[in-house]
Amino acid sequence: MSRQNVILQIARRGGSLFSLGKKLWQHPKGRVGLILVGLLVLVAVLAPVLAPYDPYDVTQRAEKGLRPSLQHPLGTSITTGQDILSMLIYGSRVSLMIGVSTGIAIAFLGALMGVMAGYVGGVVDNLIMRVVDVLLVIPTLPLIIVLTNLLGRSYFVIVLVFVAFGWTGLARVIRSLVLVLKNSNYVKAAELAGASRWYIMTKHILPGTSHLIIMNTTLTCAGIMVAEAGLSFLGLGDPTAISWGKMLAEAQGGGALLFGAWWWILAPGVGIFLAVFSFMRIGIVMEEVFNPRMKASSSIYKLFKHLNNDYLDEVFQSMEDEANAEPAEQPNGSNPPMAEGAHD
Amino acid sequence: MIDTMLEVRNLKVAFPAPGGVIRAVEGFDLDTAKGECVALVGESGCGKSVTALSIMKLLRTPPSVSRVDKLQLDGRDLTHVTERDMEHIRGKDMAMIFQDAMTALNPVMTVGKQIDEIYRRHTHLGKKEARRRTVRALDLVGVPEPASRANSFPHELSGGMRQRVLIALAFACMPKLIIADEPTTSLDVTIQAQVLDVLQSMQRDHDVSALLITHDLSVVSNMADTVYVMYSGKIVERGAVRELFTKPAHPYTHGLLASVPRLSDEKQAFVQIPDTVPHPMRKPSGCYFHPRCFRSSDRCSQRMPRLETLSSGRQVRCWHPLRQEREI
Amino acid sequence: MKRSYVIKRILYALFIFFIVLTLNFFIPRIGVRDPAERYYPPQGAMSEIEYDIIKQFTRAQYGFDVSTFQQYIRYLRGLTRFDLGTSLRPGSPKVTELIGQRLPWTLVLSVSTLLISLVTGLLFGTLAAWKRGRWQDTTLLNASTISVALPAFFIALMLSFYLGFELELFPAYTNPNMVADFDWSWKAIQVVLNNAALPIMSMALGGIVGYSQTTRNSVIAVTNEDFVITARAKGLSHRTVLYKHVLRNAMLPLATSIGMSISGLIGGAIIIERVFNWQGMGTLFLEANSTNDYPLMMGIMLFLSAFAILANLVTELFYVILDPRVTVGDKR
Repeated sequence: MSRQNVILQIARRGGSLFSLGKKLWQHPKGRVGLILVGLLVLVAVLAPVLAPYDPYDVTQRAEKGLRPSLQHPLGTSITTGQDILSMLIYGSRVSLMIGVSTGIAIAFLGALMGVMAGYVGGVVDNLIMRVVDVLLVIPTLPLIIVLTNLLGRSYFVIVLVFVAFGWTGLARVIRSLVLVLKNSNYVKAAELAGASRWYIMTKHILPGTSHLIIMNTTLTCAGIMVAEAGLSFLGLGDPTAISWGKMLAEAQGGGALLFGAWWWILAPGVGIFLAVFSFMRIGIVMEEVFNPRMKASSSIYKLFKHLNNDYLDEVFQSMEDEANAEPAEQPNGSNPPMAEGAHD
Repeated sequence: MIDTMLEVRNLKVAFPAPGGVIRAVEGFDLDTAKGECVALVGESGCGKSVTALSIMKLLRTPPSVSRVDKLQLDGRDLTHVTERDMEHIRGKDMAMIFQDAMTALNPVMTVGKQIDEIYRRHTHLGKKEARRRTVRALDLVGVPEPASRANSFPHELSGGMRQRVLIALAFACMPKLIIADEPTTSLDVTIQAQVLDVLQSMQRDHDVSALLITHDLSVVSNMADTVYVMYSGKIVERGAVRELFTKPAHPYTHGLLASVPRLSDEKQAFVQIPDTVPHPMRKPSGCYFHPRCFRSSDRCSQRMPRLETLSSGRQVRCWHPLRQEREI
Repeated sequence: MKRSYVIKRILYALFIFFIVLTLNFFIPRIGVRDPAERYYPPQGAMSEIEYDIIKQFTRAQYGFDVSTFQQYIRYLRGLTRFDLGTSLRPGSPKVTELIGQRLPWTLVLSVSTLLISLVTGLLFGTLAAWKRGRWQDTTLLNASTISVALPAFFIALMLSFYLGFELELFPAYTNPNMVADFDWSWKAIQVVLNNAALPIMSMALGGIVGYSQTTRNSVIAVTNEDFVITARAKGLSHRTVLYKHVLRNAMLPLATSIGMSISGLIGGAIIIERVFNWQGMGTLFLEANSTNDYPLMMGIMLFLSAFAILANLVTELFYVILDPRVTVGDKR
C-alpha cells in the first residue's frame, strides 16, 4: 500500500508545465540544462539572423578549404566552400525539429498505447504487447535504410520509422504505472460511480502519468537526436538539408582528416553533444524532482564528508542524562556544520 | 552473582541527515543474564531495531554514527573489537532473527545452502556434514521433510516456514545470544503462535539468552523474563515482566497496556495515547513523552528525568511515576 | 513448471519470427504493384513495349511470374532450406554465402567490444559502488552523462583523426586487403588487430561507461537489501557476502542488458564499419543498398531479425537459470 501511496503522490503533485519549469530552474543542474536548451532553440529559430552566411545560397560560397579566420571562424568546407559556422548554426534546425517532433509524436502514441494496454487489459493488452515484441526484434537502422531506399531519402521517412518503433519504450513504462494506478482508490471510486472507461482514462489515469510522459519524452528527444545524427551521417536524410550528421560525413569524405581540418569534425560533434546533453540534463533533473528519494541517499555521503567530530561529540553529549541537569535547550534542530555556519 | 551474558552501557546512535540529526538511540543500557529472555518493547520508530543492529555491530558508518561505553558478550569486550573478529562472533556466539523472512533471505539461493554456509564458515565441517547439520536444524524448528525442503528457494515456502528457516539460521551454531527483531510481526496470528512456540522451546531448551524486540505485548507476556520499555530512543521503564504488566510505573507503559483491547474489558471506548511518536529529528524539550502524557507538569517540559531505580531490577524514567501500590 | 515456461517461450519466439518473416516478404513490395519495376527500374530511352518485355523477363527470372501467394510459399520453402535468396550481384552469389563471408568480421568487432565493455564495466561498476559518493563514483556519473551524448561514430571520427592520422598509431581506414590476405598466420592476425583497434575503441568507450553505470546501480540497490544484512549477521566473510550474495543478485538486471547488447551485436556496428570502411555485415548492407540489391538487403534484414529473436530467447532462458523466481507466465 505504501508504495502505491508514493506513486500516487508523485502522480498527483500539482504539475503544470510552468511549475515544473520553475522547479527545474531552481535546481542548479537543471538551470544549466534549461539554458542550453533555450540557447539551442534560439539558435535554430534565429539561424538566418545569426549565421554570417547563408549556406543554401550558392552565390555565398567562398574559397574551398579555408582555415579558420575572422571572416570564417570555422573555415570553409573542402568540398563546397560553404562557411562551416553557418552550416553549424543551420544544422541545429534539423536536429531540433526532428528530435522534438518525433518525441512529441512518440509521447502521444506511446501514452495512448500504454494507457489502453494497462487500463483496458485483456485482449487489448495482449495485442499491444505482441506488437511491441515484434517491433522490438526488427533492427531499426537497417529498416530505415531499406525504407529510404524504397520510399526515397527524406526526414519524413526517418521520423515515421522512429515513431512507429519508438513508442514501444514509453508504452511499456506507462503500462506498468497504469497497472498500479488502476488499483488506486480514486480510480476505483470513479468506476463505482459509473464513469465510462474513456472518462477514467483521460481524466484520472492520464494526468497521473503526465510526469512520467514528460520525463520520458525529454530523454527520448535526446536519443532521437543522436540517432538522427547517425542516419544523416549515412546519408539517409534529405540530401538538400544541412544537418550535423551530414556535416560529419562530408568532413570525412571531403578529407578533413587528411588535411587536418579538425574543426570541421569537432564543430558538428560538439553541436550534437550539446543538444543531446542539454535534453538529457533536463530529463535527469526531472527524475530527481519527481523522485526526491534518489537524491537524498547520495547526498548523505557528501554530508558525511563534511561532518566533523566536534559536532558529533556535541550531539552525543546532549544525549547524556547529566546534560539535562540544567533546563538548557538541547541542540536538537541545529544543522550540521556544512549547512549552517553557527549553531546554538 | 548473576551470570551476565550481554552487557551494554550507554549506547548512542545518530544518523546525520540533511537538515539535522536523527537521534535514534540515546544512551541505552542493558543487562541480560544467561538463559534470560529480555524483551525490548516500543512503538515503531523508537529505535529498537537500530539498537539490535548496533549490538551486533551491523550498522555501517555512513549513514550512522554510534558510540558505546561498554559492549560485552559473555565476558568478552566487544567495544573495540575489529570487524574481522566480529565476523567470527556473528552467527556463532551471537545471532539475529529478522522481521521479514521474505526479504531477509537471499532469493537466488536455496534455504539449505544459506544455512550450510553458516556451518562451513564457523566450523570445519565439510559439505556433506554441514548439510546433515542443516537438515537437523530445520527438523528442530519443525520444518516437515527437512531434507527435501532444504533444496527449496525462499519464495517456494510459506511465510511461517520461512520464519522457521530464519530461526534455524540463528540457532544453527547454538549461539550464546539470540536477538529476535519482531520475529512474528509479518505473520498471520495462527502462524505467530506456532513460531513463537518454536522460538521459546529453542531458547529454553538450550539455555540461550534472548533479546526479543517487539511491539506486541502478548508476545512479551508469554516469553520474556524482563522487559525494557523504549520511547523515542530512551529507556523509560524496566522491570520483571509480571510486575511491569500489573503495576506499570511509567505513564507510557500504562498507556501501552491499557490500549490493548481485551475481551474482559468493561470499558466502552478504545484507550489511546494521544498524538504520535515524536519525529526523531525534532524531539520535544524535557521528557520526550510529556506532550502525550496525562501526568505531565511544567517540570516535565523542561527537564528530562533520569532513569531512577525503584527497587531491585525496577527502573523508571519519570518525574511522576505511577504509584506502585495500585494494580491496573 | 519450468519446462512448460521454456516451451512457451520457444513457441512464442517462433510465432514472432513468423510474423517478422512475413513482414520481410512484403516490405520490398511497398510502393509498387509490379516488383519487377523495382528490380529493373525503367531506363531512360526505352519504349513501353521494350520495357514490358524486359519486365516479363525480369519477372520470370526472379519468380514474380506467379501469384503473390505462390511467391510467398516459395519464400517459405526456401527458408526451410536456409535459403535467404540470391543476390543481384554479378555471379549471383547466394545471400547466405555473402553473409557467411562477412559475418565473422563483424563478429570480430562486436564480440571483442562486448567482452571488453562487460569485463571492464563490471570492475569499474563494482568499484564505483564500493566507493559510493567518493570521486570514483562521481567520475563515473559524469562520464555517463557525457558518454550518452557523444555518438559512437563521432568518437570514431575523432579517434580516427588523432590516433589514425595525426599520431599514426593505428590505421584510420581499414586495410582493403585485410580480408583477402587473411590466412590465419600470426602476421595476418596482427594486421587484423591493428585495424580493429580503432573501431573497437570507439564502440567500447560507450559500452564500458554503460555497463559500469548499470553494474554500479545494481550493486548499490542490492547492498541495501535485507538479505545482505542477514548475510553479514551470519558472520560470513566480506568476500562471501560480496560474491555469493551481492554480486549474484546484482547480475540479474545486468543479464537483461547483456541480452539487449547481443541482439544488437551484428546490426549495431553499421555506422562504425562505415567510418572505418571495415568489410563486415554493416558495409555489406550498405553496399546492397547502394546497388538496390533487394534480395541481399531483405536477406540480411531477416537474418538480423532472426538473430535478435534468438538472442532474446537465449537471454530469457538464461535468466530462468539465474533467477529461480521466474516461473510460468509473462514476466514484465
